[in-house]
Amino acid sequence: MLTLTFVGVMLSIAFSADAVPVRPDPPRLVNDLAGLFTPAQEYALESGLVAFDDSTSNQIAVVTVLDLEGMSAAEYATRIGLDWQVGSSEFDNGVVLLVKPKTADSYGEVFIAVGYGLEGAIPDAYAKRIIDNELIPHFRENDYYGGVAAACEVLMALASGEISEPGGEDGPDGWAVFVVFLMIILFICIIAIVFGNGKGGGSGSSGGRGGGGPVIYTGPVIRGGGGFGGGGFSGGGFGGFGGGSFGGGGAGGRW
Amino acid sequence: MKKGLLTLIIVAVVLIGGFVWVKNVYNGMVASDENVQAAWSQVENVYQRRADLIPNLVATVKGYAAHESSTLENVVSARAKATQVTVDPENLTEEAIARFNEAQGELSSALGRLLMITENYPDLKANQQFSELQAQLEGTENRIATERMKYNEVAKGYNTMVRTFPNNIIASMFGFEKKGYFEAKDGADVAPVVEF
Repeated sequence: MLTLTFVGVMLSIAFSADAVPVRPDPPRLVNDLAGLFTPAQEYALESGLVAFDDSTSNQIAVVTVLDLEGMSAAEYATRIGLDWQVGSSEFDNGVVLLVKPKTADSYGEVFIAVGYGLEGAIPDAYAKRIIDNELIPHFRENDYYGGVAAACEVLMALASGEISEPGGEDGPDGWAVFVVFLMIILFICIIAIVFGNGKGGGSGSSGGRGGGGPVIYTGPVIRGGGGFGGGGFSGGGFGGFGGGSFGGGGAGGRW
Repeated sequence: MKKGLLTLIIVAVVLIGGFVWVKNVYNGMVASDENVQAAWSQVENVYQRRADLIPNLVATVKGYAAHESSTLENVVSARAKATQVTVDPENLTEEAIARFNEAQGELSSALGRLLMITENYPDLKANQQFSELQAQLEGTENRIATERMKYNEVAKGYNTMVRTFPNNIIASMFGFEKKGYFEAKDGADVAPVVEF
């Protein structure tokens, strides 16, 4: 009974405290929850941002939502940065680009939240300029991808001037994934051999292989369906958010 | 003889166990207390940042709207009052924080009124320096909101630790007091939105 109450309390806290979406799993840098991008656009953005993360360790997360849950755009974007821990814990070098599209009865809103570590590279005034010069002009013409891509370009140029640490964390992470996969393959082989020996005949062994192959390959081939095992690969190797913190820096705008 | 030894062992185990427990709880509270104080100093930092922006802002507005002197004076005096109210991080009581919040809230509403009247001066709004100051002020308000939220979260963790049984026994033994929260004053922390 006590545990039940406890679980209930924890659940209510979890639901009341943050109305922002939960951290994506498998981790992704582009989270198009409002459905503004085509799959190809989403892929292009994601791979560009992942490559940037790999080469400089700066993480830029793009989030689109249909509803700000009664919060201001600044609050919402900062909350996402804090909850997802965008950026590395060492540099706090995360950026959250939040877009709420314009609808018939509400303004479009956009906010660039800048992590503590990048406040020097991307001061509020610069963020404001990106909003006014890159984002809103495109957004007014309903070109969400064009605006976001242009903004990311500028953000990357600014951020890499400040912190440029070739992915220290991603190397070992990639290796860990690789080792795990090797172990899974090894495990499947062992099972196959054991079953093959136990039941005799080649059919057991080929059955084992038949079961193993698709598991390994679903990730890269079917994006989105790759939640199982292949998640690490489907994002082109995004190693996950790293523990960055936000202090409310950045700027926003509406149109 | 054997019974005496057994009693001695039991007493020793209880004493050592008690000591380890008290030590862990005490150290946990000290660490949590430090976190709250660190979060508080961040709160004061961002308020200071806002206070530092104001002289520039007032000077810029004065150049265009000199006859709004009463609004300008209000901001200056509210700033002076707000910077005088500081809170000893060792003593973050409910009342101390409420006093701090009230002084800063007055400055917030004075600033809100100042920004409201600037809407009547198109030349001022077109001024590059003013628009950058305004963006900085907006950013500072966001930072204030964020650091206040963070402080409240850390203080909540600390208060929960200090006030739950059996930790509360140790807390009262060593004088760990409950920390105050930032209460949202009606309208005081909401930047006024100007619609056309």
